Amino acid sequence: MIWLIHILNGVAYGMLLFLLAAGLSLIYGLMKILNLTHGSFYLVGGYLGLTVVRATGSFALGLVVAALAVALVGAAIERFFLRRFHLEELPQALLTFGFLFIFADLSLWVWGGDAQMLAVPGPFARSLSVGSFAYPVYRLFLIAVGLAIATLLWWFQEHTRLGTMLRAGVDDAEIARGLGINVSFLFTLVFALGAALAALGGVLAGPVLSLYPGADLDTLILAFVVVIVGGLGSLRGALAGSLLVGILDDFGKAFFPKFALFTVFVPMAVILVARPSGLFGRR
Amino acid sequence: MIEGPMPKNEGAWQPWPFSAQAVSAAAAALLLVAPVSEARAQEPIKIGVLLPLSGNFAVPGQQTLAGLKMYFDEVGNKAGGIPLEILVEDTQTKPDVAVAKARKLVERDGAQVLTGVVGSGESFAINDYSRQNKVPLVISGDAGQDELTLPGPIANPYLVRVTMSGRTATAAAADWAYKKGWRKAAMIGTDYAGGVDTNFEFARAFCRLGGKVIQAQWPAFGTADFGPYLPAVDRSADALFVFEPGADGLRFLRQYVDFGLQGKMPVFDIWGTIVFEPNLTQTGDAALGMYSSEFYTPLLKTPENERFVAEFRKRMNGELPEHEAPNGYVGAHAIVDAIAAVKGDFSDKTKFMAALKAVHFPSPKGEIKLDKYGMAIQSMFIREVQKVDGSLGNVPIATYRDVDQFWPFTEAEYESYQLDYTHGKDAVTDCSKLLAKK
Repeated sequence: MIWLIHILNGVAYGMLLFLLAAGLSLIYGLMKILNLTHGSFYLVGGYLGLTVVRATGSFALGLVVAALAVALVGAAIERFFLRRFHLEELPQALLTFGFLFIFADLSLWVWGGDAQMLAVPGPFARSLSVGSFAYPVYRLFLIAVGLAIATLLWWFQEHTRLGTMLRAGVDDAEIARGLGINVSFLFTLVFALGAALAALGGVLAGPVLSLYPGADLDTLILAFVVVIVGGLGSLRGALAGSLLVGILDDFGKAFFPKFALFTVFVPMAVILVARPSGLFGRR
Repeated sequence: MIEGPMPKNEGAWQPWPFSAQAVSAAAAALLLVAPVSEARAQEPIKIGVLLPLSGNFAVPGQQTLAGLKMYFDEVGNKAGGIPLEILVEDTQTKPDVAVAKARKLVERDGAQVLTGVVGSGESFAINDYSRQNKVPLVISGDAGQDELTLPGPIANPYLVRVTMSGRTATAAAADWAYKKGWRKAAMIGTDYAGGVDTNFEFARAFCRLGGKVIQAQWPAFGTADFGPYLPAVDRSADALFVFEPGADGLRFLRQYVDFGLQGKMPVFDIWGTIVFEPNLTQTGDAALGMYSSEFYTPLLKTPENERFVAEFRKRMNGELPEHEAPNGYVGAHAIVDAIAAVKGDFSDKTKFMAALKAVHFPSPKGEIKLDKYGMAIQSMFIREVQKVDGSLGNVPIATYRDVDQFWPFTEAEYESYQLDYTHGKDAVTDCSKLLAKK
């Protein structure tokens, strides 16, 4: 029975990681931008959700407000800053890293230094009996949400005109423009979408991981591990990578406690040596 | 006829036996000296406060600072009539930053006394700095590492600690647990110096009484997900003993309910870091019924404490203080008393340290005095989380008085044990190893 709990927990944690990593992978995959501000989008999104939930009691509203607000911020960053360094990876990385620090200080100023816990939304605030154990329903909800978002993203990328235009714009921007596709607008849209995903991750993870100064960096590191294991730019890779890391992390901590600090990084190290482009990496 | 050297005009009319040059030199010297000694009397004594105000230990840091400020404000920022200047620096819960800030406070800003210090990591670093540079250090934060106030390689004659030593709450917990009839304990402790020290000492004290630790888990510092640990707790234990500080404690509290452990077995929070007052307001009824051992609870009914709590709530929007605040308060009290005793003269550091070790006063957390190693002798309380006036609070249910850092052992017996926590982490489930003598 305890095995079931461990597997469930690994999958739930993996889905949480997927929510954290999806935005990063999307932005890199479609725009080749290494978005280090991803951590801030997560944290600020989480904090905004917290404020909305505390003010209105509605978790759903918190999700919507956080996603929209952070999407706007992301769009502004792409439009007014990142666009100047189109396809220059290092300047973009440095720029987004700078924003990470700015947002970290701003959040410390606005929300303070204490760890804050988001309340679990009403319908999910109970635990399912699993034999003599209990498992929190909210984590099962996270598994469901993670799968739903993965499906939506996949459908968007492969089966919508917008997704096709995006892929065209990335493959060859000049020709795409020649065909009348507004590539610049699409890029801003994708960046905003990636930011919104990170924000959603922040609100959804809030009740489990709590929000605290430093969560932006912790999340960024985890997201990178997932994306390296799964392969940059691949949605399938983000899903596979996050599930793998989640399960290995849970089992590792439970059965090899001496290596608790390494459980997340060992898969990453193995992949970097054996298959550097990741499980489903493109290049 | 004038014989001999002709006296100068000025010299001839001098009323003193000294030359004008000597007089003017003396006058100039007097003019210089007088304002300086006046200035020294007005020059404030700088007290450097080193606390984590961001990072994982931000909450304890902020509370300590609030307590420190409260006492300094109460005495008008003066010690024996001498003005004090309080300089605060954020260590960010990082030992390297802590040392850099200590250096800045002492070498650049002129601080004469350092205080604060929360994390175990930063405590060793700042202790080293204090010992090497002979800077008096009054630990008024949570740094509970036993060896800071024990004879040994890092013993520091310039250190006193008014707050706690890692053992004392564990000794009280073990004693009370045994009296309650518990004999088998499961343990969860954060895998860092403070966590290992606490749980190791608990295991040893419990073994000495006749109990035994049957399972020990050590989640890493900063663990966000207790999923791997909570379902694995050995259900045959009489109680679960936990030590999870900072943000980890908050997450533990929520997840302990999530994984269905509430009501399944009693939980004893050694040092009360999980049933920390700011955590109690964020997790509904999750903590109800949890026991803890601590040298303080805001619900203590003494005149000093009731006055302290009322003033604290006024300053902090109705929030209740938890133990860091009276610690800061007591630390400031000790510093002020010592500075007043030596009349602000820091030229003889040994005299100042003697004055510090001689302090003795009542406080919100009870009577405070220090032992010969500079460690506080105070009371320990066993508390239970109950509903008080509609919200959760830590109600004192048992008291141990005059607890020194070796209780219940004598110093000799304590030092006769072979293992200490630095090599004892894996031995916590083995009573024979824990109680082995040198």
